[in-house]
Amino acid sequence: MTKRYLFLILIVLISLRLTAQEWVVPAESGAKLSPFAFNDSTRKVGAELYILNCKSCHGDPGKNNVINLVPPPPDPASAKMQSNSDGSLQFKVVQGRAPMPSFKNILSLTDTWRVISYIRSFNEKYVQEIEKKAVGAGASGLNARILLTWLKEKNQVQAIILGTKDRIAQPIAGAEVKLFAKRYFGNLPIDEARNTDAQGKASFNFPKDLPGDSTGNVQLIAKFSDEAAYGEAKADTTLAIGVPTYRPPLNEQRAMWNVVQKTPIWLLLAYTLTVLAVWGIIFYVLLQIRTIYKSGAKKDQKTVE
Amino acid sequence: MASEVNTGFLQDKRLDSIAADILRPVGISKGFLIWMGFLSISLLGCIYAYYIQWEKGLIVTGLRDYVSWGMYIANFIFFVATSLVGMLISSVLGLMGYKWIKPIARIAEIIAVAFAAIAGLVIVSDMGRPERLPYVFMYGRIQSPILWDVTVVTTYLVLSALLYFLPLIPDLAISKGRMGHTPKWLQKTYEILSVNWNHSPQQYKILLKSVRILLIVIIPTAFAIHTVTSWLLAVTLRPGWDSTIFGPYFLTGAFVAGSAAVVIMMYFVRTNYKLDKYLTLHHFDMMGKLLVLVSLVYLYFNINEFLVPAFKLKTADAIHLHDLFVGDYAPMFWSIQLLGLILPIILLLFRFFRKPLPMLIISIFVLVASWFKRFIIVVPTQENPFLPKQFVPHAWLVYQPTVIETAITMGTILLAVIIITVLVKLFPVIPIWEMAEEQCENDHKSQE
Repeated sequence: MTKRYLFLILIVLISLRLTAQEWVVPAESGAKLSPFAFNDSTRKVGAELYILNCKSCHGDPGKNNVINLVPPPPDPASAKMQSNSDGSLQFKVVQGRAPMPSFKNILSLTDTWRVISYIRSFNEKYVQEIEKKAVGAGASGLNARILLTWLKEKNQVQAIILGTKDRIAQPIAGAEVKLFAKRYFGNLPIDEARNTDAQGKASFNFPKDLPGDSTGNVQLIAKFSDEAAYGEAKADTTLAIGVPTYRPPLNEQRAMWNVVQKTPIWLLLAYTLTVLAVWGIIFYVLLQIRTIYKSGAKKDQKTVE
Repeated sequence: MASEVNTGFLQDKRLDSIAADILRPVGISKGFLIWMGFLSISLLGCIYAYYIQWEKGLIVTGLRDYVSWGMYIANFIFFVATSLVGMLISSVLGLMGYKWIKPIARIAEIIAVAFAAIAGLVIVSDMGRPERLPYVFMYGRIQSPILWDVTVVTTYLVLSALLYFLPLIPDLAISKGRMGHTPKWLQKTYEILSVNWNHSPQQYKILLKSVRILLIVIIPTAFAIHTVTSWLLAVTLRPGWDSTIFGPYFLTGAFVAGSAAVVIMMYFVRTNYKLDKYLTLHHFDMMGKLLVLVSLVYLYFNINEFLVPAFKLKTADAIHLHDLFVGDYAPMFWSIQLLGLILPIILLLFRFFRKPLPMLIISIFVLVASWFKRFIIVVPTQENPFLPKQFVPHAWLVYQPTVIETAITMGTILLAVIIITVLVKLFPVIPIWEMAEEQCENDHKSQE
């Protein structure tokens, strides 16, 4: 038994060591370049995104206050981070590798480039290369839009993809679309990625037990799998299709952690009654001293008489 | 305390000699003035230290973000603890019918009043913005143990003061006409405080009834005051504080500190005021036995408090216990346990060490150790916070009290000593009427 445990530990240790080593990025991904030039506005948005999504582990760039994990998350200003190509950085952010989470469903590709523009601002030697075929490439010139509707009888969410070509709206067929429900942390994928049919429609089976807000509203997000080809078009629609869920705020009811006006009844009674009882006795004793004082005064008068 | 008083002792000739003995040291003497002068001048230095803290804030102390409860809170717990002895002697032993506590009861109540009164002040010394003290009452939450603590400390102070004052009333009346050697204002004070006492059986009846009620009420109050004080620490999850037995652990520790304080005061009253007729070797013997008893109970709780977490050795507890047993705090920890608990228990088992002088020395060790015990309960836990310890200033991780802090703490102790001195010197320290009554009763018994 012990031997088996030792063996297990050994395996775990070896695999930890292996994963702790190189993080291999496919050559194609590593060579990718940003479609736009990094400037102050991309860096500003990137900084905000960095604080929201990255800072809790990677710390403040240049301050080396990263969280203690194995393998350790590198400081963005460090040589280790900066030695990555732009494409490698994007690949790592999008894919993730334990313990780093994948940001595939959280950040758009454009947003990842913005974060990278922020990270690069800590490298004075960095000179950006911009993707040559930037504008109008692929189908992104179609100005694609995604519309979401609820098919109640089928219990499905339907995405309709329309593009505008020569000023005429027409459906886009064969595009892969993904659907997410926005949750408290990150986006929850709904069903599989689907390809649009000839009418530009793709249907997703929607679970019957997904909690919504108090009126059952669920915020849905649909986007293209291949953002590079179809652009960043995104549907962000709220539909009342979840299970209505009411979670009272923690400070709504009487509780130990609430303000004094919302003291638990048992505590209010216990405290007040005890204080009243003890101080009642104290006042009783004080009255007794008064009685002693008065009785003494009477006696004195009598003796005087 | 008996439910009826035989007022026959008032006609007894021995009342005069007892009153003369006990009232002889009462009043303003040269020694008293020198001692009070010394205390006052020392206190002025401490008040200056507090003035600096008032001006500059708590930055002048060793308190920082991680160790925010230092010497002050340890001192507060010590004060509350020591004050509990009033309840132990007067109520617990008194209601059980022990007669030997009669001459000691008032000494115990004086300690209770002085220490409970200053305990509140000690809390203020730990406040960076003391002018915000009224906020506790304006915005305090009933859910917070801090509010419970404020409530019980105040209540206990009032109860102790009443328990000191009520049995004093007949003595104040007896002193009338026997106080020729004291200044006029003191005689006038006695006159006012004696609330027209004329020794009528009716008055004694009211007095005894009131005292009896107070003696009963003060027991749960005293339990509450120190249990709640322990909860200030024990309701957190921190190693060294996260304990279910903290209430009784503190309570029994309080009896140890208080009993030692009573012995020290008994010794000084006995030798300075030549009252060895009333504070006899028997009283020291009994107090020695009491100290052994409460120390043994406290030892039991100590073993519980350290052995159980040391057996489980959760990570945070392990760090904490390592600090205490073999780490930076080991010399202090083992000195407290050996010199302040184990050695006193062993020594006091022998009759020789229950004589006044050896008892005095042992009690000083016990009392000082109990102050440091509070320190070691409060401080080391905070040096190991559940927060990252990297990249913080060294001063946050290692608490070192400053001179100013120490002076302010000394000041609170001086204040307690001043209150005790005034009460002991200006009022009869041993109940005259109870002593006289007891003698009469003994006569009756021997005649029968």
